[in-house]
Amino acid sequence: MYIYVIQQLINALAYGSVLGLLAVGYTMIYGILGLINFAHGEIFMVGAFACYLLVSALHLPFMIGAVGSVFASILVGLLLYKLVYQPCIKRKAPVLAVFIASFGASLGIKYLFMMIFGDQRRAFPIPESLTGVYEIGQITVNMRDFFMLIATIIIMIGLTYLIKYTRIGVAMRAVSYNMKIAEVMGVDSAKIVVAAFIIGSALAGVSAVQYGLNFSILYPNMGFTPGLEGFIGAVLGGIGNVPGAMIGGFIIGIGEILFVALLPPSFSAVRPMFVWGLLFLILFIKPTGLFRPNIKYEGIWGE
Amino acid sequence: MNKTNIGRSMVSLTIYVGLLFLADTFLRGFYLQLVMLFGINSIIALGVNVTNGYTNIFSLGFGGVMLTAAYTSSILTLPIWYKEAALHLPSWLAHIQWPFLPSLLVAAMVAVMASVVLVLPAFRLKGHYFILTSIGVNIVIANLAENMRSFTQGAQGLRNIPAFTNTWWVYGILLLTVIFVWRLIRSKFGRALITISKDQGLAAVMGINVVRYKIYSFIIGSFIVGIGGVLWVHLIVSINPQVFNLLFVFEIIAMLAIGGIGTISGAILGAGIVTFFTELALPIQEGFSLFSLQVPPLFGLVNLLMAIILIVIMIYRPDGIMRGKEISYEYISNLVRHFPKLTKK
Repeated sequence: MYIYVIQQLINALAYGSVLGLLAVGYTMIYGILGLINFAHGEIFMVGAFACYLLVSALHLPFMIGAVGSVFASILVGLLLYKLVYQPCIKRKAPVLAVFIASFGASLGIKYLFMMIFGDQRRAFPIPESLTGVYEIGQITVNMRDFFMLIATIIIMIGLTYLIKYTRIGVAMRAVSYNMKIAEVMGVDSAKIVVAAFIIGSALAGVSAVQYGLNFSILYPNMGFTPGLEGFIGAVLGGIGNVPGAMIGGFIIGIGEILFVALLPPSFSAVRPMFVWGLLFLILFIKPTGLFRPNIKYEGIWGE
Repeated sequence: MNKTNIGRSMVSLTIYVGLLFLADTFLRGFYLQLVMLFGINSIIALGVNVTNGYTNIFSLGFGGVMLTAAYTSSILTLPIWYKEAALHLPSWLAHIQWPFLPSLLVAAMVAVMASVVLVLPAFRLKGHYFILTSIGVNIVIANLAENMRSFTQGAQGLRNIPAFTNTWWVYGILLLTVIFVWRLIRSKFGRALITISKDQGLAAVMGINVVRYKIYSFIIGSFIVGIGGVLWVHLIVSINPQVFNLLFVFEIIAMLAIGGIGTISGAILGAGIVTFFTELALPIQEGFSLFSLQVPPLFGLVNLLMAIILIVIMIYRPDGIMRGKEISYEYISNLVRHFPKLTKK
């Protein structure tokens, strides 16, 4: 029995890392700008489509597809910032108006892709070299899950290093603490905002490749559930707190897979209820999430 | 109320009833349904406006509230043979078939109860935490409807719901809602809600029980929204758990945002723009041939355009078209009087 549990836990880590990377994207943009990028799930979806197009349609090697996915995500994230968020911020639109605009942007991107590619599900290309398994005793580990987890761990260490020790990381923390004072100290806050969008979107691109490898499927609405669950992860970890978001994402992802794997099959239909129930429970006990949040109710253009 | 006011009210009421009579007599099929849908969307937008606009609690959970109301009303009014064939209801539910009005009221009450039970704990949360949990309410209720097969037939949905909704019901209820919201906002109660929306701390200092007033506002909003859901289901005569999903919620929010959140005229204007735009533009995305030029079907085009319009309005006019004003007799007469000046500029 315990071997089965460990096996499922290892399988669950893959989905946990998908959600963890997404949650970090939400939380970084929130920490800097004080707004929820509701279109983050769609940035994720575009990343998956870029990889699919490069590998399945143009027959390029998978690594180029993965890198293309990251770049496509960054492109969409920057476009969103330039076309939607920056004009809103410039005109000092209320926070709620920006939220509604991001809600609109999310559906806009989704329906654009539905219009171009249709609503049907497509198979995500999985390279031959990643289809093997490792066997450790009685436990089998999918090669792709293993590499995904390694990638996530490297990204997490890199991100922590970036935020803690580099100049841009210090500037980010300063802007996130108080944008006006950081500007007085000589930080170019516009560049920091762009950097936050680039990093957040790039993580969504990596996450999209992981999702594709794990579920080998993609469709225009694919960003909806992982996007919301990443958002839940970010809120669980205390929004604005980067390591917290990672842990929150892993909790949701692992909890969800274990819920389906360990309970009788009839429970798998109520999987959304489990995820949201977990969120309600934790917020009910601790209304600000598990770790210390970095809350901005106003955002940079507020008083 | 002075004499001119009574006169104006009588004239507008006569025009209103006259227009409805014309619509009811001359419009058929799709167009009549469109007119009714406009009325229903206006009712829903007004209900959402009470919570999201006047009290400034930004909740997206009204899709779930409407789903509860719609399912309750359909179970109460479904024909008995259909219930026996398709559902496994407890016997006290299986052998009743209620008329429209009691079922409407009971369904709205159930919606209020559901919303209070689900949203009450969420009042401890602020800002984006509250928005997230309210999205969760939608998804949880839809998931519940999918899994309570003996009541709802799961994802398959219910059919053969009696078509009770007609122009008179919709526009009668719309008129009552408008009058109710108008009176509500100008009462002591409504002023308390508006104070809460501006500054909760200030409201508390002035002796307003903030949490209680928020709950009252939620109850009123859910009641109106629930009635909207019931009217909708008896117009479309079928339902499944995904009808009031996040896309529907988006459309209602778009109505409020385009028209101007926090005004009655804005809600109705926005409902009109969004309803007529989405329904009349639907044929475009199904593909057509123009001068032997085949335009391929582009599913999702209407929603894409809607999203772009919404973003543009949020950037350039975040208060919506009405900018916090109401269309009244004075507003129109001012507009007419100042029209030459406006065009000259």
